[in-house]
Amino acid sequence: MSFEAKRCGVQFNPPSIVLLYVHTDTKKMRKRIIPVRSFSKYSDCSLAAENLKNHPRHRDYLDRVSQSQLEKLHIILRDHLQGFSLEHSLASFQLNADEDLNKLDDEILARKKGQMDKLFEMNKKHKDDPDFVYDLEVDFGKKSQEKCSWDEESDDGF
Amino acid sequence: MANDVGSIPDLVQKKHDVGEVVKIICLGDSAVGKSKLMERFLMDEYRPQQMSTYALTLYHHQTTIGNKNVVVDFWDTAGQERFQSMHPSYYHKAHACIMVFDVQRKITYKNLYNWYKELREYRPEIPCCVVANKIDADLKMAQRSFNFGKKHGLPLYYVSAADGTNVVKMFRDMIKKALDYKQNPRDFIDEVLQELENFDLEKKEENSEADEDGLKTESPEFV
Ligand SMILES: Nc1nc2c(ncn2[C@@H]2O[C@H](COP(=O)(O)OP(=O)(O)O)[C@@H](O)[C@H]2O)c(=O)[nH]1
Ligand SMILES: [Mg+2]
Repeated sequence: MSFEAKRCGVQFNPPSIVLLYVHTDTKKMRKRIIPVRSFSKYSDCSLAAENLKNHPRHRDYLDRVSQSQLEKLHIILRDHLQGFSLEHSLASFQLNADEDLNKLDDEILARKKGQMDKLFEMNKKHKDDPDFVYDLEVDFGKKSQEKCSWDEESDDGF
Repeated sequence: MANDVGSIPDLVQKKHDVGEVVKIICLGDSAVGKSKLMERFLMDEYRPQQMSTYALTLYHHQTTIGNKNVVVDFWDTAGQERFQSMHPSYYHKAHACIMVFDVQRKITYKNLYNWYKELREYRPEIPCCVVANKIDADLKMAQRSFNFGKKHGLPLYYVSAADGTNVVKMFRDMIKKALDYKQNPRDFIDEVLQELENFDLEKKEENSEADEDGLKTESPEFV
């Protein structure tokens, strides 16, 4: 018997992680509500996510949910315990190209970096990949270059 | 000459046996990929030394350039970029600077102006380059020319810390330039400091009248 996770989310009261999954035998969609226990506004979300992922009663259901996603859900629950709105939490995970990330505190910056990591990991070449080249050089050539639109407004220094 | 071997104290002499020591600093906004670039270049050697009280991270790297041993101290910020300004000690005695922006975020490109301005206040002459990082995310950007580098006569590298494109080339080039700079410094202020250090050693007893003006006229070849 196996389960295919479809969607997941949170419920604030009581703090729980909600999972929609399909039973692969019966093809029926089910909902599973997993209350998060001994979780406070000071809890370590990464650790909580890891514990849940390995939890004997839940791990089969969570097989296809990544630990980083579980961590994100825990962060949303913890934000709520700290009095932040859901909008705040969701925005903190959103990447916005115009936002000045220098202005963020460590915690929110780490969330943004976590979002960036998805693409980074996808494009990352690992050193044990067969086609890994340590000193990879690519000459992009200057001939076909166009001016970057970022230079259009002629500010000082540009 | 400023680096008259006879006047260099023992401690410095020992360092020279290990190889020439150069300091290279990284500048740029939060999350442009400065640390990921270091990590990609250093690979297994990647053992950062966190100096959390100073919000900076140091990496030591040993290499050879030509047949010379070189020890590189890389300085990376660990949150100090938040203040959009670095402590003067960050710039102190740096031999080269790597300035990074993120090709996915225009604001990080525009902020180069401020980083560069601050760099030149402290280090008017050290070699510097502009690094367009994350080109894996948007290859089109490698076909764009960026004015900032051209305007200030700085080389531009299109790189990706993720897939490794041009990372090693950029670092190797900058180590060479740092070394070259150290051996042929152009910053007048460095010379003055060195002169002062040597002066101190030689003439400790004397009540020297070597004010800055006096030194300036003594080493005109560096102006
Ligand atoms: N796609 C892509 N993402 C990158 C690259 N370099 C860094 N990143 C992402 O940008 C985030 C910030 O990088 P980091 O090195 O911490 O930036 P720093 O604050 O400048 O040191 C990382 O978490 C990565 O997800 C790159 O070359 N390509
Ligand atoms: Mg960093």
